[in-house]
Amino acid sequence: MSSVKKQTQQRANLLQGTLDMLILRTLLYGPAHGHQIGKHIQRTTNDFLQMQHGSLYPALHRLEKRSWIVSKWETAPDKNREFKYYQLTEKGRKQLVVEESKWKQMAEAVARVMWPEAEEI
Amino acid sequence: MKWWQIRKRDADLERELQSDLELEEEEQRENGLSTEEARHAAQRAFGNTTLIREHIHEAWGRAPIERLLQDARYALRQLWRSPGFSIVAMMTLALGIGATTAIFTLVYDVMLRPLPFAQPDRLVTIEEKVAEWSNLYPTLPVSANHFTFWQQHNRAFDSMAIMEQFSVPLGAGGRPMQVEALSATPGIFSVLQVQPALGRAFTVDEAQRGHEHVAILTYDLWQGQFNSDPGILSKTISLDGFPYSVIGVMPQSFHMPSIQTMDTNGSTNHLFSVGILIPLTFSKERLAEEMGDLNYFGLARLKAGISIAVANAELNALQHAIVANLPADEKATLSAEITPFQEKLVGNNRKPLMILLAAVAGLLLVGCVNVANLLLSRAVGQKRQMAVAAALGASRAELVRMAIRETAVLAALGGGLGVLLAAGIVPGMQRYLPPALNFRGFLHLDWLGVGCALLLAMLATLAAGAAPAFMISRTAPQEILHSDSRLTSESPGSRRARRVLVAIESSVSVALVLMTGLLTASLVKLMAVDRGFTTERTVTATVDLPSESYHDNQHRAAFYREVLERMNRLPGVEHAAFTSNLPLMGDGWGDMARVAGDHRPFTQLPLENFRSVSPQYFPAIGLRLTAGEIFSEGDWGKNLALVSEKTARSLWSGKDPLGQQFSRGDPATEKPFTVVGIVADARTISLAKPDPMLIYVPYWYRVEPTAGLVVRTHQDPSEMADVIRQTIWSVDRGVPVPTVRALGGMVADSVANQRFEMDLLLLFAVSALFLAGLGVYGVLTYSVAQRYREMGLRMALGAERADVYWLVLRDGLLPVAIGALVGIAIAFGSARVVSSLLFEVSPYDPVLSAGAVGVLLAVGTIACLLPARRAAAVEPMQALRTE
Repeated sequence: MSSVKKQTQQRANLLQGTLDMLILRTLLYGPAHGHQIGKHIQRTTNDFLQMQHGSLYPALHRLEKRSWIVSKWETAPDKNREFKYYQLTEKGRKQLVVEESKWKQMAEAVARVMWPEAEEI
Repeated sequence: MKWWQIRKRDADLERELQSDLELEEEEQRENGLSTEEARHAAQRAFGNTTLIREHIHEAWGRAPIERLLQDARYALRQLWRSPGFSIVAMMTLALGIGATTAIFTLVYDVMLRPLPFAQPDRLVTIEEKVAEWSNLYPTLPVSANHFTFWQQHNRAFDSMAIMEQFSVPLGAGGRPMQVEALSATPGIFSVLQVQPALGRAFTVDEAQRGHEHVAILTYDLWQGQFNSDPGILSKTISLDGFPYSVIGVMPQSFHMPSIQTMDTNGSTNHLFSVGILIPLTFSKERLAEEMGDLNYFGLARLKAGISIAVANAELNALQHAIVANLPADEKATLSAEITPFQEKLVGNNRKPLMILLAAVAGLLLVGCVNVANLLLSRAVGQKRQMAVAAALGASRAELVRMAIRETAVLAALGGGLGVLLAAGIVPGMQRYLPPALNFRGFLHLDWLGVGCALLLAMLATLAAGAAPAFMISRTAPQEILHSDSRLTSESPGSRRARRVLVAIESSVSVALVLMTGLLTASLVKLMAVDRGFTTERTVTATVDLPSESYHDNQHRAAFYREVLERMNRLPGVEHAAFTSNLPLMGDGWGDMARVAGDHRPFTQLPLENFRSVSPQYFPAIGLRLTAGEIFSEGDWGKNLALVSEKTARSLWSGKDPLGQQFSRGDPATEKPFTVVGIVADARTISLAKPDPMLIYVPYWYRVEPTAGLVVRTHQDPSEMADVIRQTIWSVDRGVPVPTVRALGGMVADSVANQRFEMDLLLLFAVSALFLAGLGVYGVLTYSVAQRYREMGLRMALGAERADVYWLVLRDGLLPVAIGALVGIAIAFGSARVVSSLLFEVSPYDPVLSAGAVGVLLAVGTIACLLPARRAAAVEPMQALRTE
């Protein structure tokens, strides 16, 4: 039974926390519904990041619970159906700044190890 | 989050996923796929929506609740599928939890519930100790003289008071009603930290002789007898024949426990709670008595931060100071003993209650063990199911959860039923409260009891569910899934576990049975002990003479003489007599007899119990005269006395006691008594021990306002009650006759508490035995079913049916026998605790111990018989062919 368990755990996706940042960043353009957010991230990264719905929706609800985003049912401009639109809150904006700087630090740290500059050797 | 919110959000989520899924589908269609293909593609892209929802649920933080509900639903479904098992297990737990909760409620109420006064932990009782009299009275009530000294010199107490309780006639003319009066020094209000709700407390002036005719009513009396009259404060009531002005009414919350002093020591005659408070006053002579009048209940409030030990040390020092000033002929060694008020009230009820609690907890344990056993057999049946779950990736924690959820639901249901059961039982236990503590109103199951039941249900879940859960968590799926289902048998580990459980049940049952046996044997012996007096066709009554019209000995004696004359003339009456103390109703008045020629200080003299009686007392209760004769009415006024054999032996050893003289108090002023007869020793104070030295003096010498009447009749005494009352009232209609009872009933009542304990223990023991038998039966039936083929094989190979029979019997009885030995060891280990409750029975009694083991083995054997017969009835051919 333990072997079964391990396999499931190996199916890791994005780096933990990165998805949240990407969603917040996407919402900076304006309110969007789940499908749009997923598609946007996928398109912008030239399909490099395949959006897993299994992670996207839980992430959206998690962000909503933390009041970084709020949701509202609205009719889409081009379709006569209602979608659940998410919108960035003030708190979410601040969080985005925090996440961004954290990510930057992280990327720089990783970069320094991977591609060391000459004088540091 | 509340469940309706959850539901709303869940619908919302469903809608969100659906709309996005449709959108995805549309886009796929726009890419040129057919409707069918588009839908499949969209679904593929979304993946498992149920999983997504579960993850979102977790993000919402609702997963634990949902899982709990799901678990409960699942467990209920499982239990519903095997109603027999579920009902037995649930009832077992309900019985155990309910009984334990009920007994706990009783114990809490008696021993732990704080007394209804401010800072009750600072309330203490004070008793005196006189080393010279300690053989008869280990502790004595307080003397007014010593109390006054303590009050002036102590530093450890905020306040102190002494008091006594008695019943007095309230109201004038007709038939007055009896009320319990608490006569106390004014300090009582600051000791208890209560003030009257209406009016005021006693002043110091009112505690002086001649000013004491003021009364404070309790709320209940004011409401019941005076219709909550708001103008009560200006009214005068008749108490004991005297006018008393009402100066206050106590608050509704005030309830005073009954207190015991010398007069009421050992008796349970305070049937009602205190209804009236009056000041306690002392005459100058009383206050001057340095070594007499040890009569009052002492109650005090410790200063904050002063411990009992410190206060006791100070009081002992004060006692030393008193001793130093005692005149030579009153020299005695004094000390004092301080006890928390609550502890004093609980008195010797503590131990029986603890034993009951232990016994009922034992019963609960047996119940849990039994349920564990049942669960274990079920666990074996569910092995395959668990193995499948494990193979599909259930973690060990999940397996344990699966295993324990049924137990938890069972315990929750059992606990709920148990609470109902306890709520039903508890009010019925009111009458078993010790009288001193039965003052708080009705006993009922409260939140504390419910909390106790809840805790017990949790403990039961752990106790009963642990073993099966442990076993299941170690499920190795491959092994079980590979093996043939019909061949799966119980693992040796589980079999051992079940045997251990049976042994535990057996040991607790044996201990309970032995305990019950010991108490029953004690009670039987106590009832069969040679009491030295008879109870057949004998009725007793108590009489309270109002002090106003019967203020001295002459008036009282004349009244009794008249009543006796009329009683003895009645046709059905064989003997009618008065006594200062009815049998088994307290030990009465203690005093020192000074044999002629003895000049020791009076504190060094032997202490005897005195009672004043009328001549017919001895034949009326069948008290045997061994020598001499009884004084008669013809001796009116003479100081004659009868002594018990023990008194005769101690005071005049080697001499003929008849004709000897002794005196009470100072021989210079007191007329001496002449011994005219010797009475056989008996047990008139307590059935459990022989009477101390007794001296009987005639009622014309001294009679108290309260006395007992004993009437032995020729016919059925049950018709006598009215005749007795009418005869007394024919002499004086104003004399209350509070109780008329058969003497036999009083003897039975004196052991009512033991009987109650015995009845409960018997109930617990029988239940435990039954459960143990059920446990043995369950284990064995299961094991026989498992070993069906083995039995067939044995018989095919030539084993006789009797051999198989024995095999199963031995298998079943071994754990029972081991458990029985352990149980006896437990019982012997707690012998020290039990022995003080026993009467002429050793806690190691071999016959009873063997009997307890025998009973258990018998029950075990009966439980084994059916499975053994089933095993012996196996048809070898059929058993071997079933594969």
